[in-house]
Amino acid sequence: MTLSKETKALRVAFLAMLAAVGGVSVLGQVLQVRARIGSHEQPPTESWFSFAPVTTPDDVAAGRKLFLVSCASCHAPDARGDEGPDLHDLEISDRRIANVIKKGIKGEMPSFSRKLNDAQIVQLRAYLRSLGD
Amino acid sequence: MDPEFWAKAHGASTHLPLALAMCSWGFDAAGFVFLSWPVARQFSMVGYWTMLVGAMGTVPAVVSGLMLTKGEMMGRDVLLFHHLFVWPAYALLVGLATWRACVGVTAARRAFAGYLTVAFVAAGLLAGAGYWGGELLLGGT
Repeated sequence: MTLSKETKALRVAFLAMLAAVGGVSVLGQVLQVRARIGSHEQPPTESWFSFAPVTTPDDVAAGRKLFLVSCASCHAPDARGDEGPDLHDLEISDRRIANVIKKGIKGEMPSFSRKLNDAQIVQLRAYLRSLGD
Repeated sequence: MDPEFWAKAHGASTHLPLALAMCSWGFDAAGFVFLSWPVARQFSMVGYWTMLVGAMGTVPAVVSGLMLTKGEMMGRDVLLFHHLFVWPAYALLVGLATWRACVGVTAARRAFAGYLTVAFVAAGLLAGAGYWGGELLLGGT
């Protein structure tokens, strides 16, 4: 049995549709991964499964010192906000706080990844969490 | 780079496939209905090329849209409605253009009736995508 040119073309058309949708899906996934990596809102994949460390009153005290040295110039010494926003009662995750400190916010806040190590960021976060409302 | 570059590029690139797909359906339908007219072949020729160029035009439209949404293929609210029309329309246009390129300007009448039916659905989906795209820009203003 020989297929008409219309039927053959239909098969090719189905393949082209699959390729088009597949290509778009791959491009979408690649762009989403790129956007995540470039964003402060989500950490790189290697830290997705890390557990939040337990913090102590000493961490809070050390975090306050770090805050006064590194953050108070923009967020005010009482963290009520000045050039930067009020940091009391933050309604964002620990992970996001750490990522904002590390990566900064484009055009708004510098990155502190070279100035603060991971342990210091944990202390700083502990202090921010202690601020309450 | 201009932060609104992809938004502008998407706006600039989407209207070509929108217009050409509808134009293609109109000319093909005219060629199909008025088969005995001397210009019927020319109608089909215009339908053929507008479909091929329109389908090629979907590539920059889709790529600029994905760049604009940073790869978000569905989204929420109005963007979701836009995408629910965009993806079937895109797939159908690519399929229709491929079929047309393989078959040529003319095809068996029954097969071409099927083509016109699917092309009508694709043009409708494109119109829906265009409507929700407009709502994304102008909705609530």
